[in-house]
Amino acid sequence: MSDTLTRFERLERAWRLEEADRVPVAPILCYIIPYLGRISIWDMFTRPDLLVQATKQCLDIIGDNIDPNITTLNHLGLFGRAGWDQVTLDWRIWEHYPPDGNLPSLYEKTIIDDYDDVMRRGFSTILFNKKLNNGIHARNIDDFLYYQFEYPMIYANAWRKFVEDTGIPLLMGGRACHPLDMLQYYRGISQLTSDIFEVPEKVHAICEWFIDYETKRAMDDAMIMGAGEVPGAEIIFFVNGGPPGMSPGIFKEFFWPYAKKMVDNFVKSGFKVWNHWDGDHTPNLETIANIADGLPKGRIVMDFEKTDMKRAKEVLGGKVCIYGNVPSALYCYGSPEEVDAYCKKLIAECAAGGGYILGSECEVPWDARPENIRAMLKAAEKYGVY
Amino acid sequence: MGKLSEAIAVLDKQGVLQAVEEGIAANLDPLLMIDEARFGLEVVGEKFDRGEYFLMELMRAAQIFQSAAGLLAPKIEEFHGKVQAKGKVLLGTVAGDIHDLGKNIVKILLECRGIEVIDLGVDVRTQKFVKAVEEYQPDVIGLSALLTASVAEMNKVVEALEQAGLRKAVKVIVGGGIVGEIQRSALKADHATIDANEGVRTIEGWIDERAIQVA
Repeated sequence: MSDTLTRFERLERAWRLEEADRVPVAPILCYIIPYLGRISIWDMFTRPDLLVQATKQCLDIIGDNIDPNITTLNHLGLFGRAGWDQVTLDWRIWEHYPPDGNLPSLYEKTIIDDYDDVMRRGFSTILFNKKLNNGIHARNIDDFLYYQFEYPMIYANAWRKFVEDTGIPLLMGGRACHPLDMLQYYRGISQLTSDIFEVPEKVHAICEWFIDYETKRAMDDAMIMGAGEVPGAEIIFFVNGGPPGMSPGIFKEFFWPYAKKMVDNFVKSGFKVWNHWDGDHTPNLETIANIADGLPKGRIVMDFEKTDMKRAKEVLGGKVCIYGNVPSALYCYGSPEEVDAYCKKLIAECAAGGGYILGSECEVPWDARPENIRAMLKAAEKYGVY
Repeated sequence: MGKLSEAIAVLDKQGVLQAVEEGIAANLDPLLMIDEARFGLEVVGEKFDRGEYFLMELMRAAQIFQSAAGLLAPKIEEFHGKVQAKGKVLLGTVAGDIHDLGKNIVKILLECRGIEVIDLGVDVRTQKFVKAVEEYQPDVIGLSALLTASVAEMNKVVEALEQAGLRKAVKVIVGGGIVGEIQRSALKADHATIDANEGVRTIEGWIDERAIQVA
């Protein structure tokens, strides 16, 4: 049976917990696009024209939406665009893919020394912290201004043109980070663990403080990307599900209240929210079942990495759309037949009644075998017809 | 269970430090106190295995243990002189990968068990591992990774150890989220795990076994 809906319509049905012509399929493609399109990581982060061109060369592995790699625009959902990358990420090797080069990654380090000072003086206390000795002061003001004001529009226009040319909607228009994830980046997991047990009131205070910054910046990005005009740009991609190894008690006390508040802020402002929550949230599903409370139907997707999808469907089915979760290693080390079988099982467990998008575990690795991604797309057509 | 191990088991830092200070004041053997604190850590590990505690609790327990060990270290030297580590482990995240969360957790857990750790850091090239094995002669080498591409790098390290004639001298354990998704037969290490607690127990078991053989 051939598709009878557009990609956007198909996804919309899933968001609204309705059956479509078939199960939507939307592997998240990030670093694999520039890799297959033969552009460097550096180009991926600085040349939206080349990134979009590379994306057009990969249409055979793209499902019902495309990740516009907002991370390249705002670098992991941090506040400013012009300087945070220098503070938080390891950008040492931009040209190559592993093992000769690194993907941009966070180094665990304590960047925030004093929560009170940050709340009192703002993030400039981190951005211009000379102790970090990261070359931030070597950048000139024109560079900052260009990346703050001009570059986002150039970036958005490149993706707007892609959507017009291909009819493929965007996965997101803006990206927001949960306060606890930000603390993990800025304090390091070990220090954050210590803070949670020793100064919980300060962790709560700064989480509350982060919310406004992060929600407003993500919504600004989505507007620049064309929310309301470009299909998919109205979606906020809300990462990352908190630091690994939270117990349900820590999740409930330190993660959930701020997650719910941010989701509510986005939806009440007219946006949709794609909750990209890594780790295993199976123990937290009963709490997550309240994510859509007080909100209009069809505004939330729960994108799970290691969470048990069968259990997720049992607990969240009929409440929010769920997304996931073909394992990363299967794309690289499995065969198309194995991918097909895994997708068949996921569809059997999650698709009944609608409200399911067949997806990847976090993102498809850059070294995935393209034939395995194509097998996933085919599986949605083979087994996902309603 | 004594007061010290009980306090560690419930993650009560103040209780642990108080018990240690009382023990010091009573002139108790600090090594016996360390053993009792380690027993508390074992209880925490069991709770972790049963799903009662999660990774953050495991890390918290190790942090508390280290605070206690910090108070006891000078007393140990006073009582016993310099105490030999029970074994030596070389850790590193393989080339092309800079994820170090799992490695750092394993490091702190090993140190709590009295095992010396040489941490080579992240993005460690194969030959650096080989040279470090030659230089430090560890009992165990632990390779960490998160990325799919790192699996091949882990195997390269094992092959390089074989080529250098060092493979039989060390046990090799690989860890990190990605190894849990790979068929065991595709990995050349002696053991693979995604569970820091289980990995540390395996390493400790190997070191104990080796100590018995040497004896």
